[in-house]
Amino acid sequence: MNRVAVIGGGMTLFRRRLLETGKELSFLAAKMAMEDSGIEKKDLDMVVMGSAPDAFDGIHMKGENLLDGAAATNKPYVRLFNGGGTGVFAPIAGWWHVASGVADTVLVVCEEKMSSCFPHPQTAFQHIWDPILDRPLHPNLVWLFAMEMNRYMTMHNIKKEDIALVAVKNKRNAVGHPSAQLPDEKITVEDVLNSEIMAWPVQRLDISPPSDGASALILCSEDRAKQYTDDPIFIDGVGWNIDSTMWTNRDLYFPRYVANAAKMAYKMADIHDPKKEIDFAEPYDPFDYKELHHLEGLLLCDKGEAPILTREGVTQRDGKLPVCPSGGLLGVGNPIAATMGQKVCELYWQLSGKAGKRQIPTDPQVGVGQAWGDIMQMGTVIVMRRG
Amino acid sequence: MTFYEKQTDPSSPMHWLGDMQADYLYPNGKAGDKLFKHIKENDTFLASKCINCSKIFFPPRLYCEDCFVEILEKDWFEIPSTGKIRLHTIVTINTYGEKLNEPKMIALIDIDNTDGALLGIIKTDNIDENLIGRKVEAVFKSKNQREGTLKDILYFKMR
Repeated sequence: MNRVAVIGGGMTLFRRRLLETGKELSFLAAKMAMEDSGIEKKDLDMVVMGSAPDAFDGIHMKGENLLDGAAATNKPYVRLFNGGGTGVFAPIAGWWHVASGVADTVLVVCEEKMSSCFPHPQTAFQHIWDPILDRPLHPNLVWLFAMEMNRYMTMHNIKKEDIALVAVKNKRNAVGHPSAQLPDEKITVEDVLNSEIMAWPVQRLDISPPSDGASALILCSEDRAKQYTDDPIFIDGVGWNIDSTMWTNRDLYFPRYVANAAKMAYKMADIHDPKKEIDFAEPYDPFDYKELHHLEGLLLCDKGEAPILTREGVTQRDGKLPVCPSGGLLGVGNPIAATMGQKVCELYWQLSGKAGKRQIPTDPQVGVGQAWGDIMQMGTVIVMRRG
Repeated sequence: MTFYEKQTDPSSPMHWLGDMQADYLYPNGKAGDKLFKHIKENDTFLASKCINCSKIFFPPRLYCEDCFVEILEKDWFEIPSTGKIRLHTIVTINTYGEKLNEPKMIALIDIDNTDGALLGIIKTDNIDENLIGRKVEAVFKSKNQREGTLKDILYFKMR
């Protein structure tokens, strides 16, 4: 299996509504990644696109619609989608194109234009449920995750204040991010606790916003990477795992599918003790409690311990285990697939010292990124390492 | 393995009637916004040119998909709203299988001075004639009725 390097990254603005079409957003992100790496379209062997349900853009087969903006015309091209898991799964697919030896250089683009779905992208989420057993009650994602959050709080006796600290940390971390939609350097726990209750215990500031945006990465073989950089960043482990769609039959306080995916990735990356060997993490944080949930799923702390680490400042950018130094989905925005920008591009930027104001001060060598999707059942994990 | 009998009445099994809300608001995009703002005020089109390969895009684009370079403001220019019919078909029934009151000619029109083409309706007195290669020009709505969409072009007529 070939070792796979990351040599370029790009990310557009993330905003609730952008004028650009999905193709145009894809072009802007792809062009940034190509300029960052020195790669041109002719150097690309294959292209991978990640984009969430067609229902957001209202274009069936939107992978085909987007391809000319992703430098994919007349090239081998595939579009993947597993809900919120896509932002890490698309680069995993890029990885297997190169690791297998089928391609030397691959562009991965992730695009999402949620604003087309009118009046709100939640209407698209109404059709992800089982039509017999769930949909007659008109469920939406907020009340499903409210129940999961409540379950997690109840099992470990966690206070709402400790969960709100995650939203505060991430929205403050996002202040240095040029793409950020909701950075807020002055936000406090009280602001989160006083925000509108949507479905108890979920309040307005516990949730990331819907967004338009795109992100891109250039992956290549180790030999090819040496032509472009002296300091390549490597993808050393990938993992993915999915639990039953019968969510009613799961415990819902520990994401075992994330743990399974993490074990797969750690084994590949030769990591035996993730608590000691991982320097920083970008777990998926569409809701503040999900960062905590996922830190436990990633085996970076014990069950129920993540809120304690957060309260003690361990997960701050200058803490022992920086978590979501990008600002995450809560601070930078949540254009579903395009969150590859925070979960994978950020690992590349942090490890190569290109994170600017967001740079972790302790010279990190190993990072883990993770996404979560489908009906809270999909875990996708990537481990990246310097040199 | 048991196979159930074929059902001819869809409402005969116990069921739940679902619907699928899917409403969309599509902004024209960055390149499209420029084109449709122009069409709203003018009876001409805009095109954009790749400085790398000299391809002239109509409808105009923000980027060249072949060279993968951005097309800048300075490489946009006005073109007449005329062209030649590359291919056409005559539609006689609609999507639901209902007969149209009168047949409709749909054509792909190569737009003059560009490497691009546009789908349009052709108005002609003689619909059975082979019109491939014939010169046409766009007929627009009156300016006060234009909304900045493709529908501001009513049809193409023979020149």
